[in-house]
Amino acid sequence: MKPDSRPPWRVALCVWHALLLREAVARLFNKRGAWLWLLLEPVTYIGFTVFVFAVLRARVIGGMDTAVWLASGLLAYFLFRRVAVQGASAIGANLALYTYRQVLPVDTVLVRCALEGVLITLSAALTAAALALWDKPTGAQEALVCASAVAGLWLLAVGWALAASVGSELVPELGNLLGLFMMPLMLASGTVFPLSAVPQPWRDGLMLNPVAHGIEGVRAGLSAYYHHAPELSLGYLHAWALGLLFLGLALQRRFRHRMVSL
Amino acid sequence: MHKRYQTDHGPGPWVLRGIELTLPAGTNVGLIGRNGAGKSTLLRLIGGIDRPTRGQVRRHCRVSWPMGFGGGLQGSLTGRQNAKFLCRLYGQARDMAERLERIQAFADIGPHFDSPVKTYSSGMKSRLQFALSLAFDFDVYISDEVTSTGDAAFQAKARRAFADLVGRASLIMTSHHMGTLKEFCTAGIWLHGGQAHWFDSIDDAVAAYQEGLPA
Repeated sequence: MKPDSRPPWRVALCVWHALLLREAVARLFNKRGAWLWLLLEPVTYIGFTVFVFAVLRARVIGGMDTAVWLASGLLAYFLFRRVAVQGASAIGANLALYTYRQVLPVDTVLVRCALEGVLITLSAALTAAALALWDKPTGAQEALVCASAVAGLWLLAVGWALAASVGSELVPELGNLLGLFMMPLMLASGTVFPLSAVPQPWRDGLMLNPVAHGIEGVRAGLSAYYHHAPELSLGYLHAWALGLLFLGLALQRRFRHRMVSL
Repeated sequence: MHKRYQTDHGPGPWVLRGIELTLPAGTNVGLIGRNGAGKSTLLRLIGGIDRPTRGQVRRHCRVSWPMGFGGGLQGSLTGRQNAKFLCRLYGQARDMAERLERIQAFADIGPHFDSPVKTYSSGMKSRLQFALSLAFDFDVYISDEVTSTGDAAFQAKARRAFADLVGRASLIMTSHHMGTLKEFCTAGIWLHGGQAHWFDSIDDAVAAYQEGLPA
């Protein structure tokens, strides 16, 4: 087939295929053992936190095993953070590739988001295996709720990445500000303390954060008896995800030439 | 066609002003002009990487990406990985092995084909870029100074490759070596003050360019 006689959707598929493999190689093998660290980083982080909380302190949080509670919350948060942060830096990291007019900035962001989603899924599988060896309950009792929460978190992160990648190219300072924002977000999303234990009116404020809804949603999906924050609404999470996706895609469309000529 | 770039201090000066050109098919065109005249900008516009601020570029054939300045190669990946990326990008993944062999043979950089591109010299980089673009069938190849960095053997090879292309594809190139331009091209464009001047013969273009130079 001649190079440029392909229909547009085929060109897009080819671009995603090529970018995905390239990103995967660059991310997994850029340093010695990079892939090992990438997969084990969340697992070791979770392991340490679980040790401190579950062995030294409480056995049960909100009717859920502490280890499972922590692991699910942290993994759900990592899913959001990894996808959001890596996706947001995709445009700047792939400047050399815009030499090929098939490659659009939005492609590099989407491909990174997909790749990070796969990597964190592998980390989650490793964590689940470790928990199962430790005889902890790892199945999801409300699988659909769990899947909906995970999908919502991923889409939210994709929307964030699409918007933030354009934003941080146009205004480089914005990239640093958004990075600073991630650490307090982890605490405020109820990864290491139960949001249902926060008194009103503070909880209302914390539950404005869609990531908190996603994390509580994942836990509610894992254990049917989990006492989640009463304000939990997956609809709220998905509405945010939809809004950010729209904003992100609109920004990508509006500034697609500016991104390339930087 | 007009082009200017956005700078930190608002819109920059016009690089290209009111250029209107039709490049005939099957003609090798040399682009000349002093540094900063807009040669690379014009090539980027023709290659479709960048859009004109006003006006449009219409392509009726398959145009390659502009080769040159290490663009399009990712430093942390090896030459082979970069080549694979391009095969996939152009939807030619099926006969990739054969294509990779052709690229490797033409670039002729030996074992360095499997070492990261950031360790390459500029000559090796342009060899690789040249081999990469020749591995795909385009109607027009865009070369931004890529032939001027290679050594004598490579220049001879590039010359033969371009000679083989005659009748099948054409070339748009820039160079500051008038000899290279005269050798490869028949027609010329002289970029000066944001305007493009077309010459049917490259010799006239070179002459105009040299006359326009301040003594």
